[in-house]
Amino acid sequence: MIRNGDSERLLLKAAIRVNTMLIAAAFGLTAGAMLCISTYILLLHGGTYIGSHLSLLSIFLPGYSVSTTGAWIGFFWGLVIGAISGAILYRTYARTLRDKLPQSIIDPGYDPESALIAPTAMISGHALGLGLGALAALQLFVTTNWLVFRGTAENSAHAALLENFVPGYSVTFGGSVIGAAALFLLAYVCCLLLGVIYNGVAKSRMRRASL
Amino acid sequence: MMHEGKTDSERRQLAILQAAFARLDPVALAAAAGGLLSLVLAGATAVLLMRGAPPGIQIGSHLQLLSYFLPGYSVTWGGAFVGLIYGFLIGAALGFLMAMLWNITHHAYAMAVALRASFDRNLD
Repeated sequence: MIRNGDSERLLLKAAIRVNTMLIAAAFGLTAGAMLCISTYILLLHGGTYIGSHLSLLSIFLPGYSVSTTGAWIGFFWGLVIGAISGAILYRTYARTLRDKLPQSIIDPGYDPESALIAPTAMISGHALGLGLGALAALQLFVTTNWLVFRGTAENSAHAALLENFVPGYSVTFGGSVIGAAALFLLAYVCCLLLGVIYNGVAKSRMRRASL
Repeated sequence: MMHEGKTDSERRQLAILQAAFARLDPVALAAAAGGLLSLVLAGATAVLLMRGAPPGIQIGSHLQLLSYFLPGYSVTWGGAFVGLIYGFLIGAALGFLMAMLWNITHHAYAMAVALRASFDRNLD
């Protein structure tokens, strides 16, 4: 027998599952398109050493290259990695909010029986920051240690450039841990800022629309 | 008014569905993403300029490569301002696109569910 509390939990789980799939699709398509388009832009530019830096992505994305075929392989990898990243991000976001998810709309007085459009969602900068921060930290940790594992860490001059922006980062195991923590904090602060701006603009637009 | 005749459980379930299918405001997300990306790009440029480089070495020779995609951008203070504008435009476009994608896919999903429910009802 399903009790009321159980049915709400099941409904919440089902809603989170649907949103996870939709976010994964959206992120995957966007990431895939961006990598494909960036590759084509470089191909159109032409030159002797086309995309000598973007081609370094082939270290992490097997088969990718700055070529017409490579652009579509890049689309595939962008799709896969974008989808997985989007899914992890949303699941973490939803799990952080948990029972507060139903209150995460801007117009709580919304009446579904009389309204023509869906209510407007709020963005929790804290929940998003935890999710995106964790995701970014994990990706930095994995990619750095992939270079260490390959034995090319000392020659990874390009990866080492990240230390300009991520305090404490270096292409070593220890550096990847410190860098991951620093990147987590940076991403968290950025998400807090994103949430503040988004919620402020959305609420202000809603107030103006209701006048 | 909205919750007349509804039990507490039904109200909570309705709240869950409202939140799950709530739309993102494309203009708000464009403003937020644009603001953030503009600060990130301008900030990254400024960090490199402040750190400087050894004599004879170009500052930010790799970030400079963004000029392939962003004509007019460079790792200079003027370029940081250009990066601010580009960052805002690109971030705003991405934010708008993500919000529209979210809204369209949710709308399409809700319509598909409603159609299927109507189809099942007709079969019954």
